[in-house]
Amino acid sequence: QLLADENTRGANLTTHYKLIIMSWLNASVLSSDDVFDETADELSLMDKEWTNNMKKRVLDGYVDGADAGEDASLQEGFNQGFIEGAARTAAVGTLKGTVCAIQSWYQIQHPGTPVPASVTELLQLITQHEHQVLDSINKDLENPPQTVSDISESMEDLEVKGCSESDCCKRAENMDMDSPSQPHTNCPESVKTTFSLSQSLNHLVQRCMDIVTELGLPHEIKDDLEKLKTQ
Amino acid sequence: MAIERSGDIFDSILLADDMFRGEGYREGYAQGTCRGLMGGRRHGSSHGARLSNEFYFYHGFASTWKYLLQQNTDAKCRKRLKVLESLLGLIQDCPLVDPQSAKLPNDAEKIRAKFRQVMELFVVCLQLDQISCLQLEQRLHVSLE
Repeated sequence: QLLADENTRGANLTTHYKLIIMSWLNASVLSSDDVFDETADELSLMDKEWTNNMKKRVLDGYVDGADAGEDASLQEGFNQGFIEGAARTAAVGTLKGTVCAIQSWYQIQHPGTPVPASVTELLQLITQHEHQVLDSINKDLENPPQTVSDISESMEDLEVKGCSESDCCKRAENMDMDSPSQPHTNCPESVKTTFSLSQSLNHLVQRCMDIVTELGLPHEIKDDLEKLKTQ
Repeated sequence: MAIERSGDIFDSILLADDMFRGEGYREGYAQGTCRGLMGGRRHGSSHGARLSNEFYFYHGFASTWKYLLQQNTDAKCRKRLKVLESLLGLIQDCPLVDPQSAKLPNDAEKIRAKFRQVMELFVVCLQLDQISCLQLEQRLHVSLE
């Protein structure tokens, strides 16, 4: 008898809480399209509402998390970028300052004589190079190179497996040749740009060193310029 | 026993609610971190590049002039050398690798003021539009404020 009473009470309570849960779910339901599905029974309706409700919870959490993550990492990103950007313009800034000093020295030492064309030309070329460096920094950040995780995710999406076939790389090359208009990944392009910019800087530094020799200026200037050359 | 069971039902609902929200939060946080790092890097890189370009320009200018003057011993040259060394010292002490340093905006102002003094002292006929120092200064004033 006690067991039967307990079971009845339990069943009543379960029905009671079921109603509470349903009313709670109804209050926070997102889409009510399926609510009027007359064929759906009470349980499947509850399931759908539950799913919708939990989807909304996930979304709410995502939005809050995205804002918090962005706020927390913005300064760190700024600091990283600041140091990277600073490192990329130090050499060209120094070189330009050096050539400007030589130009002004010449003007003071030889009043009325025009500054040698080699100096003014070099200054123009350095200014161009400077703009290219600043442009390349902006370009790199507009089209950031893909991260390893991005690439691996894409590979997973494409179901790319390991390089087991011997001719797969060859086939990839052929594909590349067949479709030259296909956009390439940004990484090789930015590496190429950085390489050509450092070559160009080395060339400009060498021209400045030649001018120092031509004008018979102190060798310490050349020693400092040598340090600006990149490998 | 039945009351305990009913407690479990509510706990499960609340736990599920927190769990789903937490799951979304973690995923969002990871994406937000990525976005914050990229956005921060974009701004930081541009500011760092411009500030470094400007200060290293001053550094190259001052150190070259220092070499050009070091053989001269007259009073005028000694005075010029002193100002140049002072400018070089300021640039060396400037925390260019620490953008969050509270010293940076103040140091930047000091460096610019010292460079202006150098220009006056040398009566240098530099073409400012070519060097674009003024443009840089204007941009930097905005970014450092």
